[in-house]
Amino acid sequence: MFRFVVKRLLSAVLVLFAVTMLSFLMFFALPGDPVSGMCPKNCTAERLERVRVELGLREPKLVQYAGYVKGIFVGRDLGTAQGGHCDAPCLGFSYVRSEAVTDTFKRVLPVTLSIVIPAAVLWLVLGVGLGMISALRRGTLLDRLAVGFALTGASLQLYFVGAVLLLVFTYTLRWIPVPHYTPLLEDPLDWASGLVLAWMALAFLFSAIYARLSRAQMLETLSEDFVRTARAKGLSSWQVHGRHALRAAITPLVTIAGLDVGSALGGTFITETTFGLQGLGRTTVDAVHGGDLPTVMGTVILASVFVVVANIVVDLLYAVIDPRVRLR
Amino acid sequence: MRTRAASAAGAALALLLLAACTENKGEGPSVDVNRQSTGVIATDPAQSRGPAAEVAGAAKGGTFHILRQSAISHLDPQRIYSFVGLMTAPLYSRFLTTWKDDGKGHLTLVGDLAETPGTDVNKDCKTWEFKIKDGVKYEDGSAITAKDIAYGISRAFSPDYSGGPTYVQEWLADSPQFDKAWDFKANKGSFPPGLTAPDDKTLRFTFAKGHCDLPFAVSLPYTAPVPQAKDTGLGLDTQPFSSGPYKVTKNTVGTEIVLERNTNWDPATDPVRHQYPDRFVWTFGADPDAQANRIIADSGDDQTALGWGGVPASLVGTTINNASLKSRSILSPTPSANRLTINTLRVTDVNIRRALNYAIDRDGLIKSLGGDTVAAPMTTLMPSSTLGFVNYDAYPAGPSGNVEKAKELLAGKTPELVLGVLDTDAETGAQLEANLEKAGFKITVKLIPADAKLDETSKKNNPWDLYIDSWAADWPSGASILPVLFDGRTIKDAGNNNRSYLNDDKINVEFDRVLAMDPAAQGPEWAKLDKKLMEDDAPAVPLYVDVAYYLHGSKAGGIFVSSIFGYPSFVDAHVKS
Amino acid sequence: MALPAEVDLNPAPPPAEPAAPVAPEVAGRSPSRLAWARLKKDRVAVVSAAVIVLMLVIALGAPLIEWAYGIGPYDDFKARLDRFGMPLGYAGGIDGDHWFGVEPHLGRDIFIRLVYGMRTSLLIATAAATLTSVIGVLVGLAAGFLGRWVDAILGWVMDFALAMPFMVFALAVVPTVALRFYGPRDDIPPLFRGVVLVGIFAVFGWTGTARLVRGQVISLREREFIEAARAAGAGLGHMLFKQLLPNLWAPILISFSLALPSYVTAEAALSFLDVGMVEPVPDFGRMINKSINYLQSDPAYVFFPGITIFVMVLAFNLFGDALRDALDPRSSR
Repeated sequence: MFRFVVKRLLSAVLVLFAVTMLSFLMFFALPGDPVSGMCPKNCTAERLERVRVELGLREPKLVQYAGYVKGIFVGRDLGTAQGGHCDAPCLGFSYVRSEAVTDTFKRVLPVTLSIVIPAAVLWLVLGVGLGMISALRRGTLLDRLAVGFALTGASLQLYFVGAVLLLVFTYTLRWIPVPHYTPLLEDPLDWASGLVLAWMALAFLFSAIYARLSRAQMLETLSEDFVRTARAKGLSSWQVHGRHALRAAITPLVTIAGLDVGSALGGTFITETTFGLQGLGRTTVDAVHGGDLPTVMGTVILASVFVVVANIVVDLLYAVIDPRVRLR
Repeated sequence: MRTRAASAAGAALALLLLAACTENKGEGPSVDVNRQSTGVIATDPAQSRGPAAEVAGAAKGGTFHILRQSAISHLDPQRIYSFVGLMTAPLYSRFLTTWKDDGKGHLTLVGDLAETPGTDVNKDCKTWEFKIKDGVKYEDGSAITAKDIAYGISRAFSPDYSGGPTYVQEWLADSPQFDKAWDFKANKGSFPPGLTAPDDKTLRFTFAKGHCDLPFAVSLPYTAPVPQAKDTGLGLDTQPFSSGPYKVTKNTVGTEIVLERNTNWDPATDPVRHQYPDRFVWTFGADPDAQANRIIADSGDDQTALGWGGVPASLVGTTINNASLKSRSILSPTPSANRLTINTLRVTDVNIRRALNYAIDRDGLIKSLGGDTVAAPMTTLMPSSTLGFVNYDAYPAGPSGNVEKAKELLAGKTPELVLGVLDTDAETGAQLEANLEKAGFKITVKLIPADAKLDETSKKNNPWDLYIDSWAADWPSGASILPVLFDGRTIKDAGNNNRSYLNDDKINVEFDRVLAMDPAAQGPEWAKLDKKLMEDDAPAVPLYVDVAYYLHGSKAGGIFVSSIFGYPSFVDAHVKS
Repeated sequence: MALPAEVDLNPAPPPAEPAAPVAPEVAGRSPSRLAWARLKKDRVAVVSAAVIVLMLVIALGAPLIEWAYGIGPYDDFKARLDRFGMPLGYAGGIDGDHWFGVEPHLGRDIFIRLVYGMRTSLLIATAAATLTSVIGVLVGLAAGFLGRWVDAILGWVMDFALAMPFMVFALAVVPTVALRFYGPRDDIPPLFRGVVLVGIFAVFGWTGTARLVRGQVISLREREFIEAARAAGAGLGHMLFKQLLPNLWAPILISFSLALPSYVTAEAALSFLDVGMVEPVPDFGRMINKSINYLQSDPAYVFFPGITIFVMVLAFNLFGDALRDALDPRSSR
């Protein structure tokens, strides 16, 4: 177990390192000029050039990269135009937002977390529940309804569902306030009412996917030998379904759910754009369109950290849930 | 619950069916685009005194909301140059001079912190003196002095605080490399050469060359006062030190800015600003669609809100003929002029440039952009809001262009031209390509990433023949438009505003002649020069001016579109009870 | 699975066990013929297959349809718009000449742009799904069968590809990559943009299939028929492609059929964020995303592309499900 975790962590660190390296080289070698956005009118070539030197953009790429990595671990000194010393973990300074990238993250990450975590709970409970019920009541009207729901959800687009939800519930009926973000601890009710549409849209589409998956998974498990054995042993149907079958059926779902949540935490680009919420996703889209490279780099790193961590968590959970898996 | 959901869906469906099944006969209000600015520089010091005239129907109290998609890039007055910054700054900053504006193009330049819009001491525009008003105070109650204004301007010399306009810096240093001529960091506390504050009430500018436009140039936010003791460096960008009627009390970057009354602001000293609402709240995040839908819904806080993004073209179909929105809409032309710049270094044949002018289908272009609420056609280089403007059309071809006339000028040739457009404007590129190809051109559309475009087309040897440029002058005088855009002697290797790269000696001589005149007499001369440029050189195809179309909540009042910048002004804003 | 709400290029593998090994034939009916028979009897499968075929025919026959319809995808009809750029007449300008009306603002015919747009989308999605399947199968085979350090390295590459945030890369790379391959004055053919999109999908999308195939191979590796082949001294190529691959067709086909709609929607989602095919090339995804803004002012414009993509994705999903049921009898309804 311990050896597995260490190996897994080492590989993860290597992955993260490679991600930063590759994305740094790619982004800072792109033709867009991060500096031209700094002076909107009346810029002379000389002044632009001096800004570039000030920002260190004229150093060799490798030196820039080394400085960047150093910043993450021990902090670094940036020029006065970039707010001076930047403490570890320093992801650089956004000259477009005039703000340290880590400060941006401190602000926008809670938004994305508040969207993703409740939505994930919702879609898992709803999706897996629906899938289980329809598998156990196979062929009934309930099953057909659930399958229909799942197929519809899986064939719809998030931005489409979002636009319709907004039009119906917010603009026409005015039952739900305009999507906005209030910190949970400040006003839990306002927090929920501002995000409920995003949860609904995400949960509708994702739970549809999970319902399909878990239904198929459950059907398959029910036909497996060990379930038949359990039945033959005379265990009650609740014990069979709840303890044995569910547990086996849910295992593959854990992988998928883990990765989905992990990648969603890296930014719910479409949800945030549709509902006008300033989370990590929308921030990234803006940063890319605005040529804000330090922010783009930061989001790449953050998003890959989420995916990598989710991967590890999934592997560990797997061992806990599925007795057949032994960690090597 | 199910019946409620069904009724919700039903209501929405009914709405959509209604929209789908009504015949669109193409009716709607029109925009007054031919109105003309009248502008004067106040001669009577009484005009520069406060308080500003009360706005009819305005009451004190309430919170005024402004919705915007992305955050305001800078709040530091020395770094402000974006439209949203220029319109917000007057709430918390005061400047040397400012414009009295009725939102209909009638403008008067008055002293703001200064008692008058400046005195040209020797009548040669080289030495200017401003006397600071009595009783002007900061948010902490301390007095605003001439030294603080000088310190503010000296901050603008620092590359650390770049982003703002650079007129005064360049004029003082007599060089575009003003930050080399005088180093702010090394000389902190003293003022750049030519800028002096002999006492707390007097500020003096001395230039090597005459700059008759100075009273206009000091109306921009970089003349806001900053006491050296309160200079927090980059901190001022999120938490500026207020000299205006409001102060920033909360700033969550990218999410919200709250401005509350500054009790030390004295209305008796201020000729334009009011202090009606208790607070202004900027909320960022909602895109223009969401903003407009919220304002239309008009519930809760949105009743006192303005959507900064205006009405997106996709929603105009539902709003323009909606009678209940009429009292809540603002439809106004702006001074932002858009042109198809012709790179005259590449397109050297003036007949091809003329043919482009005949071929252009402004009507089709404007429809593709969103129609009358987005743009209004223009055939001149300067927008109609410029002082002394005279309308003309050097290449009359009707609203949809005259393809035959263009072909005639091309005389059987097929010029192959490359049109550079922003990757976000690909539709406009497609429209122009289809339009010009009908007239016998071969057009290749090149998409340029939005963040690189300005830099790329401003390089002298850029590889494109045509590109769309827009210019919003910092003050409504031809002096801030024509010489900036077409004086060939200013062409550098990169960073050009003269992106037509026109260098016509006959025109350059005219620029010098008009610039030396009394600003009040320049207007008609610029208009003549505008026409001459188009007739002789055709360095661009004038396309359209932006039109502003805003909606505000039923309880928001006092909003008008600034005649200078074309964006909503907040100096009269109030909440209706 | 099919459409992930946000963009996910690695659809979860469908829960299907590897089909029984091909080798032992008892009744003389091969599993693939059994599956075909089952598929033919499944009404849902037949209907969804018919819809898919119809769409493919429309997409491939677009120029013919243009010829018969008499209007091209680039023709504009500005005279059919009012001063605000909205279509005149009823329901977005629907009439005998313009069956689905005209686009607001640009005034082009919606029907013919939909037909051509479907062509663009299906081409991109098919190319991307094929490419990712091929890469995924090759990597999965190698990792699963060779094991040891090959598996370790490929596993790491998989982790790496998964950890790279697809969206950020697509956003940053797609608009600028053309600048590196074409001169500043060259015309960039729309095909190039399509190739870039397919390339981006390929770089990020192969891991799902690879994982699936690897898992299957590991469970097949120890079976008797492989042991037998190994004992008989079969070469690596023979083992991989003659012995293993034939037993993997079912899961590969299923994952391919489910990947296809996910690329259709992924391409649409990229257009939603302003990357993807650019004007004036007709493109399904961009059309839908643009039209959504007109939900209130021109619902007819939203209706036609919206219903088409829904039906298309639904048909692919239904067919994918039916295919899985047919190929894997144990999970059938």
